[in-house]
Amino acid sequence: MASHCEVRVYAADEAAARHWSDAAIAEVRRIETKYSRYRDGSITTAINHAAGGAPMGVDTETASLLDFATNLYQQSDGAFDLTSGVLRRAWDFKARQVPAQAALNKLLSRVGWSKVMWQSPLLQLGAEMEIDFGGIGKEYAADRAAAVVADLGGQHGLINLGGDVRVIGPHADGEPWRIAVQDPRGEQGVTIAYLKVPHGAMATSGDYERYFEHDGRRYSHLLDPRTGWPVEHWRSVSVVAPLAIAAGACATVAMLQPVDSALAFLDQQGVRYLAIDNHGERYAK
Amino acid sequence: MKKSNSSILAAALALPGIISTAQAQVTVPNATLIQFKYLYYRDYQDSGNRITVNSPALYLLAPISDSWVFEIGAVYDNVSGASPYYHSVLSGASGQGIKDGRSQGDLTVTKYFGRTAISARAAYSTEDDYKSISGGLTLRHATPDQNTTFTIGAGYSSDEVSPSDGPVFTRTKTTIDGIVGITQVLGRNDTAQLNFYYAQQRGYLTDPYKALFGVDQRPDHRDQYAAVIRWNHYFDGLKASLRSSYRYYHDDWEISANTVTFEWAQELPYGFTLTPSVRYSTQSAAYFYYDPVYDPVAGRPFPPGYFSNPNGFYSADQRLSAFGAISPGLKIAKSFVGGWSVDAKAEYYEQRADWRLGGEGSPGLEDFKAQLYQFGVSKKF
Repeated sequence: MASHCEVRVYAADEAAARHWSDAAIAEVRRIETKYSRYRDGSITTAINHAAGGAPMGVDTETASLLDFATNLYQQSDGAFDLTSGVLRRAWDFKARQVPAQAALNKLLSRVGWSKVMWQSPLLQLGAEMEIDFGGIGKEYAADRAAAVVADLGGQHGLINLGGDVRVIGPHADGEPWRIAVQDPRGEQGVTIAYLKVPHGAMATSGDYERYFEHDGRRYSHLLDPRTGWPVEHWRSVSVVAPLAIAAGACATVAMLQPVDSALAFLDQQGVRYLAIDNHGERYAK
Repeated sequence: MKKSNSSILAAALALPGIISTAQAQVTVPNATLIQFKYLYYRDYQDSGNRITVNSPALYLLAPISDSWVFEIGAVYDNVSGASPYYHSVLSGASGQGIKDGRSQGDLTVTKYFGRTAISARAAYSTEDDYKSISGGLTLRHATPDQNTTFTIGAGYSSDEVSPSDGPVFTRTKTTIDGIVGITQVLGRNDTAQLNFYYAQQRGYLTDPYKALFGVDQRPDHRDQYAAVIRWNHYFDGLKASLRSSYRYYHDDWEISANTVTFEWAQELPYGFTLTPSVRYSTQSAAYFYYDPVYDPVAGRPFPPGYFSNPNGFYSADQRLSAFGAISPGLKIAKSFVGGWSVDAKAEYYEQRADWRLGGEGSPGLEDFKAQLYQFGVSKKF
């Protein structure tokens, strides 16, 4: 994975700690290998290759993730969409180019989970459509890796996959983990808050990971799959939820919504959050 | 200790005689009472100890005048140990350490107007990251012959949990509850009582410290109903009282519970009273309790069906499972001349899925056990 990842566990001895963390890392690698859109042998690549062709049967694990994504798509009124990745072709964050609306419209015809036929276990994408598991894949891996450690007997530790943190259990003395929230306008590593997370997971979505500025306007990598344009409602949204996959999905969806509807969505999901809007205003619950 | 995780302890303390059964009469107490109690409680499963509670409590009842009575209570709970109850059979790991000290103070003021008494109660409870305020009003009224007493009361409590730095992640829970009841003296040796309870909880009903490795998503409201019928009979020849009660409980989480309790208070020579007791309880599971079986594909920590219903309610809390529980106890008390009395009490609790009546118990859970010891000394002036 192209981000900072760590496994932290308390164990009786180094051998146990090594054994547990190796097992956790192996589970993360398994999921990455299976779902990375960059890997030739991945299921994601196979699904995308089959786009426009006959329905393709998928395994049960993939079916679970597709069910989850379908659910999120419905709950977020289409803001969370596994097919939105093709929009990145129009938005070149290295070249700092704002695309023409015509180019976006062309790509938008290839975006939309409603255009996908998903009847578990059969999946059929329209021609030239693509999916990726951004927003849930990494988080799912964190949940699973933590479960692997817990199954081996680990009680205290956490899995951190690029800022998406799944807690195995609190510190050995029972103290909760203090997880820092990056200042969305500060240097890398500058934090604005710590959240205590004894159990469960925390995930953050921010507009600062990739962006460019053009004519005084900021264009972030957060693209609304319904319009094709970057959204600038939030600088960052951190969500604490029982599962990393839920925290990650909630953060992703909230980022794409205006303040009022994002807060309503988070409240409805019953999660804790710290959200910083476009003006630096903080909302926490 | 947090209110939300003390249900078994609370159930143990709810034995008639510990929390006083509503008096059959409305009369002004004529003596000042000072009482000290020390409670030790621990629960455990075969895989290890769970929670240990040490709790000293002080209580003062003081009639100030012919018609005013003050009661003051102070409790300190020291809780340590591991979080219990969550699918311990599968976790391969038991609890997470917790350490907490809770202090609670409460004040009750009662004003008597002849056969009518109005009590106002306020309580405050606090620990590191938790605080609770509560208050309530109770009205009791007796008929002229003092054979029938009506009770009506209402209470409110507000709990705040802040499981993070700063005020920002504070979560609240409010409870409104009410009681109506009637106590009837049926003769020289018999008293019967019927009480109805209602409680409405709103807000954050998940215990943030209890969700072990799994998913705990609960509704943010809970309506609870209970009816309790009690009957006390005194056997002249045996110099003993039989105190029996039956409690029916139902809530909108679809837990229904039935509890029967019997206490035999035997008077003995030299001011001793020996009280053996037994309680049996059986309950159905909350509709969102899931057995220790995880998603067949993704496995732990995903509950079955999670991917197609991530917003559903899920809990692996053993207290929300279907089970039966038996709790025998023994109490010995001695009164001395001069108003002193001492008592000691031991109680054992065991909860098993296959002890449930009227349905299957939740499978795959380890039996849950608890012991409770209490020592008390009091003095009347």
